[in-house]
Parts: sequence; structure tokens; C-alpha cells
Amino acid sequence: MNSSFRILIKSPKFMFGACTLLAMIGLVLIYPLFNRSDPLEMIALAYQPPDAKLLLGSDNFGRDLFLELIYGIRTSLQVGLIAGVFATAIGLVIGLTSGYIGGMIDNLLTAVTNIFIVIPSFVILILISVSIDSRSSFVTAVIIGVTSWPWTARAVRAQTSSLRNRDHVNIAKISGYSTPRIIVSEILPYIASYVVMAFVLQTASGILSEASISMLGLGPYNTISLGIIMNWALVFEAPVAGAWWAFIPAAISIAMITFSLYMMNTGMDEIFNPKIRS
Amino acid sequence: MSVYGKYIVKKFFWYFLTLVIAVGLNFLLPRMIEGNPVSMIVSEMTQGMTDSDTIKRVYETFLIEFGIDKPLGEQFLIYVKNLLSGNLGTSFGLYPKPVTEILASAVPWTIGLQLPAILVGWLLGNILGAVAAYRKGVFDKVIFPVALFVNSIPFFTLAIIMLYVFALSLNWFPLHGGYDYQLVPSLSWEFFASVIRHHTLPFLSIVLVTIGGQAIGMREMSIYELNSDYVLYSKLLGIRDSRIARYVFRNAMLPQITGLALSIGTMVGGSLICEIVFSYPGIGTWMFTAIRQLDYPLISGCTLLIAIAVLLANFTIDIIYGWIDPRIKAAQMEDQ
Amino acid sequence: MSTHILEVNELKTYYRTRLKEHVYAVDGVTFALEEGKTLGIAGESGCGKSTLALSLMGFYFPPLHFGGGSIIVGGRDIMKLGKEQLRSQVSGREISYIPQAAMNALNPTLRIIRFIEDIMKEHRPELTKKQVWDMAAERFETLNLSPRVLNAYPNELSGGMKQRTVIAISTILNPKVLIADEPTSALDVTSQKAVIKLLKSLLDKGFIRSLVFITHELPLLYHVTDDIMVMYAGEIVERGTAEQMIFDPIHPYTKKLMGSIIVPEEGMKGHKLAAIPGTPPNLKNVPEGCRFADRCKYAQEACRQGKIANKTLGDRTYRCIVEPETLREWYANEGE
Repeated sequence: MNSSFRILIKSPKFMFGACTLLAMIGLVLIYPLFNRSDPLEMIALAYQPPDAKLLLGSDNFGRDLFLELIYGIRTSLQVGLIAGVFATAIGLVIGLTSGYIGGMIDNLLTAVTNIFIVIPSFVILILISVSIDSRSSFVTAVIIGVTSWPWTARAVRAQTSSLRNRDHVNIAKISGYSTPRIIVSEILPYIASYVVMAFVLQTASGILSEASISMLGLGPYNTISLGIIMNWALVFEAPVAGAWWAFIPAAISIAMITFSLYMMNTGMDEIFNPKIRS
Repeated sequence: MSVYGKYIVKKFFWYFLTLVIAVGLNFLLPRMIEGNPVSMIVSEMTQGMTDSDTIKRVYETFLIEFGIDKPLGEQFLIYVKNLLSGNLGTSFGLYPKPVTEILASAVPWTIGLQLPAILVGWLLGNILGAVAAYRKGVFDKVIFPVALFVNSIPFFTLAIIMLYVFALSLNWFPLHGGYDYQLVPSLSWEFFASVIRHHTLPFLSIVLVTIGGQAIGMREMSIYELNSDYVLYSKLLGIRDSRIARYVFRNAMLPQITGLALSIGTMVGGSLICEIVFSYPGIGTWMFTAIRQLDYPLISGCTLLIAIAVLLANFTIDIIYGWIDPRIKAAQMEDQ
Repeated sequence: MSTHILEVNELKTYYRTRLKEHVYAVDGVTFALEEGKTLGIAGESGCGKSTLALSLMGFYFPPLHFGGGSIIVGGRDIMKLGKEQLRSQVSGREISYIPQAAMNALNPTLRIIRFIEDIMKEHRPELTKKQVWDMAAERFETLNLSPRVLNAYPNELSGGMKQRTVIAISTILNPKVLIADEPTSALDVTSQKAVIKLLKSLLDKGFIRSLVFITHELPLLYHVTDDIMVMYAGEIVERGTAEQMIFDPIHPYTKKLMGSIIVPEEGMKGHKLAAIPGTPPNLKNVPEGCRFADRCKYAQEACRQGKIANKTLGDRTYRCIVEPETLREWYANEGE
């Protein structure tokens, strides 16, 4: 693991993504320490353009958009990470079970996975979000995670079932190791890089899903996320008012976060699947 | 029965099962709302109404439609029966308009926007990805990060930016809607031109984002194919590069077709939100309205329609794929 | 000019690594091959023999580069030809190739006959489709392949069928030189023999005029090739007739390679099975003097100095500073 990390540092793509992401995380963690104001406090007139005091102007309610943006990035990252953890964990468990045990259970789980790959996850996302009355950002994140595991499950299953009959796994079986131990010591290390990559992608897609669902007005309550800022801008017709600062920075922030995550993923992909490197 | 026929039957069975599950979820999830959803919904929707007769009438309509007083199994039967007779219930927001009527008015707009946009974006993205893989060098170094960046922009983000730049600042295109509101929909040139002008921006924003995602996938597939043994062998037998490029393109394209099938759900979702930005009179905008008004029948009508459309698209792609990829045909033979 | 059909002089080819280092995988290889003869090239994996196979085709694409020397086929130095000339006049036509993994050598989405048609479009454009079919069908029948194979997709063929199909395709233009790069490495012993028999029959029938057979199993070459060359770390360490190389090896590496066999051929039963201790040197950083010295139990101080020259003994060549007589004595004293 240590040596793969050292190789990763040499990948400019991975480093670009990781540094951008870390810079953003640093900003959203540190800035609120200096500016302790409430992002929801109305301190100016509606849609004031950016100036020295309000770095990104104000929104429809005269709130400081820069502060809102900082908190929005924070929520979006949180939601993305939690969703990524859930999606990866569920996908990993289902994929490992299905790929390692095989037989009927494999057939069943593969069928379920395939069915949920085809049913658009955002449809389920909308239906669940509509049905749940009080959505915290954590609940939203969990819902996103729960609806986006099939991809990971499918990839993990494919990897696991190809590993299942390798010699080292058979030796472990003959040696009488328990199934959980074989999975942990003989299977997981071989798919670890895939799982990490899947987690990075799931986090990116979690952030995008949160933004989409918030745009629809189904985002978390009592918080600010990048999607919610965009939703406010749209509902209160910021584009028509010419208030680009109300949605462009949020839009670019989403793109920056997902782009840096994709870059990290590509960097890892080039290192762990050398065929792509050409 | 032929091998291909069996393949179709098998696929049909799976998609039918998936459809049943999608319908089940569509029925079940909204009923998880705590308490009596009908009274909750009606109380929310009739806020401000004073006429108790109307409230009672509304309440009764939904009580019958939901069959809330009956056991869940029976509710499901009522739901399926209504579904089969093409009845998706009555909209709360536009009471007493039936949901099917609203959806019927929106479907042509959505299909007219998304089908060409996704297909064009898919095709252009694949060509671009293949060229990037083949040319390498500067072209690849520029195209790839740009595609990756575009791909990380959510659909609606690009839509909002385009709306702001091209419709608002430059005034090149109209701000919202599917056509000029002064016009009455008709088969005139004027109306047609207006539709095209309103169509352009949402169309372009969907195309651009789709290109990004597809180009990345195709680039990867092409690089994989370019490194494969048959490329080397063909080269060593003196086959010219342009012909080998055609082999590679074709072989990398085939998985991209299944890729299209699998990502079409996400694309449709993104495009629906794109509609909202442009207030395009399609399903997405209606869903937005429905969510704001908590118009449950309309919401679940939209989700059901989207699920069915995506399943149908997937089924079609699977059928086409089975028909064109000889590897699939051979796999079917082995199955026998 | 000579009667040699293939003449290679001081051929050098290198890989350029990502860190811009030059790794010479073929480092000054010189040999000649007469018409009608077969030459075996043996060595451990990583010794550069597969790179040599590619290099002999005159085909270089990154990261493999041409570093100097000449490859003369039928009196013409193919390294002096332009890329396009090489492709249209030499590849597949003068020199042809059988790849290591026949399983993946064929484009999975192309029928066999379409691929043959594509080859003919490059080399015999005057032929009609009908003529190509007749020609291919005839050749396939001669090689005991049903002409029905022509209409198949590669994955409809069994492994052995694919192998023979590849051999038939590679030799369809009656090349002067056929280079077979470990065509048998993936097969069981019986199939290996069948493939070798088939290759020899190509020579007897006049479909090819010489054969270069590359393998990591030296003893396999007994009864197959007239001459054998042993390659180590990018250099040829010994060349002689098959008899000489197998029963009277001079170079300690050849001797060891004979001992490392797993499936002894008939008449070699007396040999002990033993792996060669150590690993070949890293080609990035080859040691001074004899490249085998680190693994050679007879190595002396003088072995690690300067460049070890090629010596000749009758029609044999070898690259060792010790006299053959001394070596033979040492081998005999080992108490086999």
C-alpha cells in the first residue's frame, strides 16, 4: 500500500486532483474560523454585485454569497463522502458475497444488481425523498448512497469471481481458513485499488446527485449545499436579474470538486491498470 | 426458435421483471409517508380554501384513487388496474386535470429535446474519444482534460451558464419556454422557427455534457483496443493504418452501445433537470412544479413514465446490440 | 549477393522508457538464413527474443525504436525502405509473422474471409472477391481446414482451429520468411507437435521459403529446425546446428538451458532437470563483460572485463572466453 502511494504521488493527474480537493477542504474548514457570521443572516440588499466587502455579492435575501458558498461546499463534500461510503460499502458487501459464494446467491444478487442498474436511480431517489418528511443532509446522503451501489457491486463481483479460483485462495481454503478471513486476507487486498477508485467515483456522483436533487427542491432541510444555492438562484430568478454571482460560483465549485475527484480517479486508473497508460 | 429469438425472449423476461419492480417501488415508496397521506395531502393542498364542500369532494376523489382505507394488497390491485386502463390519477396542483393528460402534453417536448440531443452527443463524443486515442499527442492532451472537465459539470450547471451567457447577456436565444407564448401552436413556419430557437440552448447543453462523458469512455475503450493483439497482427500483415483504425473504432464502439444503455438513465435524469432551467414544457419542468406543490400523483406519474421510458430504451439497445455484435451471437450459441 | 534469404547485421533495437532511458532489448544481433532452412531462436523470457521477432519485421512503433543495423530480405535492406513502402511491399508479403497468442490475434468482429479480403486489398488489389475466396478456400483445404471456417467469426473457432487459421492467413501470400513467435507456448505437447509439423509442411509445400521459430524451450527445437541460436540479454550467445546445440553445447548458458527443460524429447532422457539459478540481468543496466557471468559457475575474473567477442568453431559461433575443449572437460567432470 505504501509503495502504491509513492507511485501515486508521481502521477501529475492524481496530484492535481488531490491538491485541488485538499485546498478546497482547507478553505471551507478554515474560513469559518475567521468569519464567524451566520451564512443565513441577511446583511445586504437583494442581489448586490460583488465588491470588496461582499466577495461574491448577495443573494435574493441579501445574504453573503461567499459565506453561503463556503458552507455549501462543506455540505456538498460531506454529503458526497457519506454517500460514497454507503454506496461503496453496500456495493462491496453485495459484490463480495455474490462473487465469492457464487451459485444461487450469485444469480440472485446479480439479478437484483442488474435490475437496479436499469431502473434509473434518481427516480428512486426522488420517490424516497418525496416520501421522507424531514431530511437532514445526513439522511439525504444515505438515500443517495443507498440508491447508487449497483455499479460498485457489479465491478466488485466481477473482480471477486475472477479471484475466487486463484491458487492462493485455494491454498487458503485447503488450509482451513474461515470464509471471512479468506475474504479479508486473500481477496480484499487484490481489489483494494478498485474499491478506492470506486469510492472516489461514488463520492463524485454523490455530489452531483445531491446537486440534482436539491435543484429539484428535494434537498436537505436547514442547511446550505451547492445544489440548494443553485435552486434558490433558479427559484428567485437570479439569471433573469442578471445576478451571475448567485449561481456561477456554485456551479464552478461543483465542477471543480467533481473534476478533481475524476482526475484523482484517472491518475489511479493509469497506475493500477497500466494498459490504459499506453 | 432461432438463437436470436431466444435472446430477445430472455431479455424481455428480465425487462418485464424489472418493470414490475419499478412499478412496485412507484406504488410503495410514496405510501411510506407517515399517517394518512390523503388527509395530509388534502389538508396541505386545501389550505386557504374555505368551501368545505369542495374540500370534501377533493378528499373523496383521492380517497377513492388511493383506496387508503383498504389493505395494502388491495390498494396495489386498484393501482395496477388504474394503470392498465391508462389512469394515473388526478393532479392535486391542477385539480381536476388527470395526470395522463398533463404527461401526454409534455412527452413530445421531452422526447423531441432529449432523443436527438443524447444521440448526437453520444455519436460526437465517441468520434472525439476515438480520435483522441488514435492521434494521441497534443490533441489527446487537450481533448481529454476538457472532456473530463465538461463531464464533471452537472447537466443543469452548464444549462444555467449557457442560459446566462447566450440568452441573457448576448440575447441570442429566448430565455425560457418551448415556443413564443404569443403564438398558438400550429403547423406554421413561424411556430416551427420559434420552437427551433427555443430548442437550441437546452439541446446544446445536453449535447455538450453527453459528449464529455462519452468521449472519456470511448478514449479508454479505443486505447484498450489499440493495444490488443489483433491490431499488431493486422499491422504486421501490412494492413494500412486507416483500415486498422476502422477495426478499432468498430470494436470500441460496440461496448459503447451497452454503455449508452446503462448510462441512459442518468442522462435522462440530467436532461430533465436541464429542462427546468429553461422552463422547457417537458416532463422535467412538470416534475419540478409537482414537487414544489407536493402533487404526489403527478410526481409518481412522472417517475413511472421516466422509469418505463428508460427501460424501453435499454431494451431497444439490447436488441440492437445482440443483432450487431457477433461475439454476443456466439455467446448465445454456447448457451444452447 | 549471397544466397541468403535473410541477412541480419548488427541489429540494435531499444525501448525508450518513460524516463527517456534507452533499453537495448536487441543488442547487435547478426545472423543469416539460407533459403529452405529453418532457424530456431531460444532463450528465457525477457531475453529479447520476442522483441527480435518484431524487429525482424522492420516494424517499429513507440516505445520500440530502431537503433541501427540492417535486415536484408531477398537482397534488399528493408530498413532503408520508407514506412509506406515497408508496409505495402514487405509486411505480410516478404516477411510474415505468427503471433504468440493466436487466440487474440484475430479481430473478434470480423469474419475470417473479410480479414483475408482486407489483406488482399493491400497486397493483391487486382483480385476479385471471388478469386480471393477461391484462393483462400484452396489454401485452407491444403492445410486441412474446412473452407467453412472462412465464414466464421474468430470466437466460433476452437483454440486449435484459430491457431491453424492464423498460420494459414499469415502464409497466404507465400512469404520468403516466416517468423513464428512462440506459437506453441500455450499448447499441450501433442498440439505443439502438430503445429510444428504444420509449419514444416508449409516449407515442404513451398508456401514459405524459410522459417524462424522462436521459443523458450530449447529442446523443442530438436527435429524442428536446422539451426539453433541461443539468445541471452539481447545478445546471441551461441549458434550451431540443432544436433550440435543440443548434444554438444559450448556456451555454459546453452548447457544450462538444456538442463532446464521440463519435457525431455526422445533421445535426451539422460539430462537432469534443473532450473538456472539467478535471474537475467536488467537490460537497463547490463554488466560489463559476459552478461551471463553472474549466473555462471565457471565465471572468472576475465569474464567481467571488456567486451566478449564472438568466436567461431567450424560453422558454429559462440560468445565465451573459455576454450570449448576446457568447457567440455568441465561439463564431463560434473558427473552427469
